[in-house]
Amino acid sequence: MARAIRSGSSSRIDLIVLGTCALLALVARGLPPNLRDPVATSMRRTFLAPLVMLQERAEASRRSLLLDKERTAIRDSVTLRAMQVKSLEDENERLRQLIGLGSRLRWGFVPAEAIHGRGVRDVTTMTLTAGSNAGVRRLSPVVSSEGVVGMVTDVDPTMSQAMIWTHPDFRVSAMSEDGSAFGIVQAHSASATSGYLMELRGIPFRTALKPGTLIVSSGLGGVWPRGIPIGRVIEEVKTSEGWARTYLIKPAVSPADVGAIMILRTERALKELDNVWSSVTAANQAAMRIVQAGDSAAKSAALAEAAARRAALDTTVRDTTAGGQIPGGLPPELRPDTLGGAAPLPTDSAARAEAARRAAAARRAAARRDSARRDSINRDSLQRDSLVRSPTRGN
Amino acid sequence: MTLGGTLRAVVTFVILVLLHYTLRPLLGWRAPMDFLLLALLLASIRVRPAVAALIGLALGLVADSLTPESLGAGAIAMTVVGYVASWLKAVFFADNIALNAFFFFLGKWMFDLIYFVVEQRLGGIELVQQLLLWSPLSAAATATAGVLLLLIMRPMLEPARA
Repeated sequence: MARAIRSGSSSRIDLIVLGTCALLALVARGLPPNLRDPVATSMRRTFLAPLVMLQERAEASRRSLLLDKERTAIRDSVTLRAMQVKSLEDENERLRQLIGLGSRLRWGFVPAEAIHGRGVRDVTTMTLTAGSNAGVRRLSPVVSSEGVVGMVTDVDPTMSQAMIWTHPDFRVSAMSEDGSAFGIVQAHSASATSGYLMELRGIPFRTALKPGTLIVSSGLGGVWPRGIPIGRVIEEVKTSEGWARTYLIKPAVSPADVGAIMILRTERALKELDNVWSSVTAANQAAMRIVQAGDSAAKSAALAEAAARRAALDTTVRDTTAGGQIPGGLPPELRPDTLGGAAPLPTDSAARAEAARRAAAARRAAARRDSARRDSINRDSLQRDSLVRSPTRGN
Repeated sequence: MTLGGTLRAVVTFVILVLLHYTLRPLLGWRAPMDFLLLALLLASIRVRPAVAALIGLALGLVADSLTPESLGAGAIAMTVVGYVASWLKAVFFADNIALNAFFFFLGKWMFDLIYFVVEQRLGGIELVQQLLLWSPLSAAATATAGVLLLLIMRPMLEPARA
């Protein structure tokens, strides 16, 4: 009985507390916004501050995690863009060079794209996006802005097949740039392991080529016109043939980089091509020569200028001394005005001759100085030109 | 309840409150688990209904302080849930995992029901969608977390044996 009474009393107390709590909660719910916000803010700033701080940090960590994914994604896309930019720049450069080649060729060529295969055999051949409809014929030379690429072997109306210089059957009659040595260029037989290289065979034993010598097509044989760059000499290859030398050649054109090319028409291949590829090379070499000459000319001009000053000083001192030997010295109209001015009047024929010789030397030095300045100006302009043209790749 | 049991219950309560303010925002789920409600339910089965109602009121006000526009709604919901959970502890809180999970699920759903009705922020189809889709999902997540916690903290939550 007593337990039942106690239980009923407890239930009443529970209900009263529940009602009070519910009432307080409803009062809190019914607070106007201008009172609700200060109450909530004061709770957040006092005893709830540690919990609020924990929540802020957790949310910051979550944001950081999410941003890290975004950052990674952005970094990846930026890297991808950068790679694309590099390839676009390379392609742009190649196309620019090809346009330059086209403007130098002027006529008789067919521009085309090279389509590379993926098979083992395809490293020696490629498909070109121009055919007989565009004037391409069998054995038409295929060139790029760097030099020899290959030769057309099969022609369709819209497409054609070309043999790259890496093909074992490819041959081109070649010579050194100065025409001192002639030979046959073909793919280097050991290139499979040492990269794509060429070899120049049949050079007479008495003729030695220095490393770096430019090898161009000789025009003999009737397929390749004269003057197309093939590559540069790397070193001599020791062979068993005692009557001729063989040289390893670094090719001007890398097969992997061949994209846009030019196919020379037969009638154009029969004409002279000497100045087409050599202009860029010649400009670079001329610039180098002028730089060297300019340096030596400036040095000699400076030496000559110093010598002229010394001569003028000596003359002045001697004249002054000579004037001192004459009582009262030279008359005023014969005295020198300035040290660097006109040569003083000599007192005898020997002195007059020496003065004339020194004046002539000073004039020559001044002329050399002006020439050196002109050369340096030309050198700067040539350097700018070569920068604009961009030197031939692989040369 | 012994002093040791009370201390263990308090520690569990504090851990759950801390989890509510760390793990929950870190996960950032659309249907989040409610560690405050788990703390209330686990406390309610150990105390009288009046005390459970007081704990519910306090926890509700704490939760509402971060959303001042709904101040009081959480307090009402938690007060009622705590009181009812304390009354129903004999029925639900047996040594059965499935029954415990249902107890947590029902507690969270009931809380959401009262909260969103009293808050009056949502209405129409949004309220229906919240109560029939997101609230059950959140209740399921809460029940799963509650069961996992019970399994992990069983030695801590069991009453000391004589």
